[in-house]
Amino acid sequence: MKWLQDQPAWIRWPIYALLGILLLTVVQSVSDTERLTATPTSREMLRWAVPIFLAGLGGLFSERAGVVNIGLEGMLILGMWFGAWGSIEYGPWIGLAIGMAGGAIGGALHAIATVTFGVDHIISGVAINILAPAITRYLSDEIWASPTTSPSTESVGDWDVPFLAGGTIFGWESPDILLTIDKWEWWFVSDVATLLRGLLRGTHWVAIIAILLVPATSWLLWRTRFGLRLRIAGENPSAGAAQGIDIVRYKYVAVIISGALAGLGGAFISTELSGLFQGGNSAGRGFIGLAALIFGNWRPGGVLIGALLFGYVFGLDLKDLDGTASHALLLVNTIVLVGVAAWAITRKRKADAILATILGALAFIWWVAAEAVPNWWSNILPYVLVLLVLVFFAQRLRMPAALGQPFRKGDT
Amino acid sequence: MSAAIELTGITKRFPGVIANDNVNLTVEKGEIHAICGENGAGKSTLMKILYGMQPADEGTMKVNGEEVVFSSPTDAIDRGIGMVHQHFMLADQLTVLENIILGAEPTTAGGAIKFKEAEAHLAEVAEDYGLTIDPDDMVESLEVGERQRVEIIKVLYRGAEILILDEPTAVLVPQEVEALFDNMRELKAGGATIIFIDHKLDEVLEISDSITVLRHGKTVASMPNDGVTAHDLAELMVGSELPTPDTTESTVTDHVALAIDDLTVADEDGRAVIENISLSIRKGEILGIAGVEGNGQGDLVDAIIGTTDILGGSIELLGSDLTKLSVRKRREAGIGYVPEDRHHEGLMLDAPLWENAALGHQTQEPYGSRWLLNRKGARAQTTTIKEEFDVRTPNIDVSAHALSGGNQQKLIIGRELTSNPSLLIAAHPTRGIDVGAQAAVWEQIRAARADGLATLLISADLDELIGLSDTIVVMLRGRLVARLAPEDVTPRDLGAYMTGAAHQDDNEAA
Repeated sequence: MKWLQDQPAWIRWPIYALLGILLLTVVQSVSDTERLTATPTSREMLRWAVPIFLAGLGGLFSERAGVVNIGLEGMLILGMWFGAWGSIEYGPWIGLAIGMAGGAIGGALHAIATVTFGVDHIISGVAINILAPAITRYLSDEIWASPTTSPSTESVGDWDVPFLAGGTIFGWESPDILLTIDKWEWWFVSDVATLLRGLLRGTHWVAIIAILLVPATSWLLWRTRFGLRLRIAGENPSAGAAQGIDIVRYKYVAVIISGALAGLGGAFISTELSGLFQGGNSAGRGFIGLAALIFGNWRPGGVLIGALLFGYVFGLDLKDLDGTASHALLLVNTIVLVGVAAWAITRKRKADAILATILGALAFIWWVAAEAVPNWWSNILPYVLVLLVLVFFAQRLRMPAALGQPFRKGDT
Repeated sequence: MSAAIELTGITKRFPGVIANDNVNLTVEKGEIHAICGENGAGKSTLMKILYGMQPADEGTMKVNGEEVVFSSPTDAIDRGIGMVHQHFMLADQLTVLENIILGAEPTTAGGAIKFKEAEAHLAEVAEDYGLTIDPDDMVESLEVGERQRVEIIKVLYRGAEILILDEPTAVLVPQEVEALFDNMRELKAGGATIIFIDHKLDEVLEISDSITVLRHGKTVASMPNDGVTAHDLAELMVGSELPTPDTTESTVTDHVALAIDDLTVADEDGRAVIENISLSIRKGEILGIAGVEGNGQGDLVDAIIGTTDILGGSIELLGSDLTKLSVRKRREAGIGYVPEDRHHEGLMLDAPLWENAALGHQTQEPYGSRWLLNRKGARAQTTTIKEEFDVRTPNIDVSAHALSGGNQQKLIIGRELTSNPSLLIAAHPTRGIDVGAQAAVWEQIRAARADGLATLLISADLDELIGLSDTIVVMLRGRLVARLAPEDVTPRDLGAYMTGAAHQDDNEAA
């Protein structure tokens, strides 16, 4: 464990991922499901994770600049509508840009309310969440003569990775190595290949952009002047203002970027996943993005991991009509909670250890007693995960120090 | 050679007050110039004018012989003037380097920060002035003294050669003050000019080359630090005799108010921070605890108040056991508490004074009952405190942060003493407040002692400790290492016990 912690991130995270898959494989071998490590599961995971991640990354920009953004859901809905409209009117790529602009309008509204007028961040966010569905309903009715649905939209499409997942290069079909390994049906090795293939075949271009946003955001926020000044707005705005930095401007820019990213997530849902705008299709993914932000400790890589984890739970549920896969997930929960309990014992945190043991026991009893799990369980599981993370790891979470605090010019 | 700073006839009026009245100040190049005066004497206003934060109504300013007019701190920075504020302007979760370069980042055309270049420049500045700091440390991991060094380097990084330090020692413990003074001497050796504000006279005498004293907005004296005594300075500052903390005849009775027996407290990691401490305080007695900060004094207070769990031992107030009681019950049983950090633990800064007066006593008459606040009673009581304890405020509805430190402290002392406690815990009761308020606080504690109050006094000001206490005990690494009579102990002796240089037999200390 100590050795692992000393490794650089690009070695560490693949190892963590492999350990996770190992856990799934072990659980699957004692369960009557094969979906835990199936290609559709990881494909659905990514499809769910992209909008969650983009909303969460939007939240990261806003909250790193000190503005709580619970309005991500509303901005995502605006992005859904404007993305669909833009795609229908001007084609798919411009559609995505218009979707971002739609979300950015929501962000600008939030910035005006919170930064300029000092409205409580939660109240402004909730107002945007109420406003956005109403506005899109009205616009749909005006433009498409239907309050809830649009005509079908055009998608920017997807891509199969050559060699690994059988993509074509200039019309030549490359071998599908991962599929070959999958067919060998070797324990664990084939499971890894199957899951990986779900990520690399039929990969949406937007998903690729989203993943690239992780290093891009890290660079922007931690290696540039813009990033340093944006972060000071969330850590100690008075200190920044004392050095002549225009804190208000940075907060505005950050919240508008936040809205644009959530908007991209929304446009992805309407144009790439559903193929049309449909009211209610956001399915709360803006809120889950916020959960991923907290889970990820306000860091881009952490947000991505949170989004993938939540995406996995939803993705698994989607193809799990009889509830057996979600049922197997209970055993995963049990094992993870036992791990948390063991960790808490080594840290001499008695209350945490007892709580983790009790919760682990409950999950285990449920797993033993029931054959399947009702589908509401997977809907609330992401929130349960966030609660657990907050309960057990709150001391390790570091939110920006001045998050949610009003800033007035001239304050020292 | 012209002076680094020459202010002539500076006048600044605020509605109803003249903050600076025809003030003159000349600071020579390469000297350490102290500006002292009571709170409200106009020191801060003068420095704000010099740093371009406020314009003067009248008067002229010359920097290095050239006449200047500043409209913002940026103008002052351009002229090589930098200011280190009393309250640090640092972001905890940023690195030292990020905090220092903020606002003056060297970047590429694309906006990427050239961290290597910034680090090299920082190393250069640090070397020139003999200050060391690790640029990659997170600020949250730094001690107060180190944070102050970051602030100073931040100013130097921007090319300042004239430094204004606003009450730099107010937030520091004694060893850190020594380190700061060493740094200041290094800065001077490196060619910097330093103006620093302070009202601790021994510090002023130790470090400064010249001293300017302000009183009621006027310059009352400006002189080289040559044969001046603390007594002279104090008289100049307050315009009268300096008050001393000395208590008069003993009022110690035979009735034990607080009895602590064999107390042990452990921190989160299970290490003992207090080991087998036994002590008692009688009615009418002030027990002073001396010790370098962080040797368990704070943990002892927490254990008595009930904000930390104890590992063993007993704490009794007037014969009844406290250890099983909640903080609330303990307060109601008659413990008054003047916390070490009045902003953090003593007050709700944004709340009006009358709510602050009720704080900690909200379940007791006249502030309220178990469930309800009694607005009328609380307000009447606050007015009484305001009058009896001379809290200078326009009314009791202003928020606590509008008051000066001394008046905030008087409000806290008043709140605790008017509830007629049997035990008062006073942690650094006069830290960071001016001479006048200090004398008032001493007087109130003395009066309560005469009425039979038992007081646990913790202070880093050794003169205060010796002057007020009936008995002094010394804490070192969580143990009581000495028990001394204040009549025959000097600050020097105390210092020796505090650092472990002198020892007393165990049975004598117990």
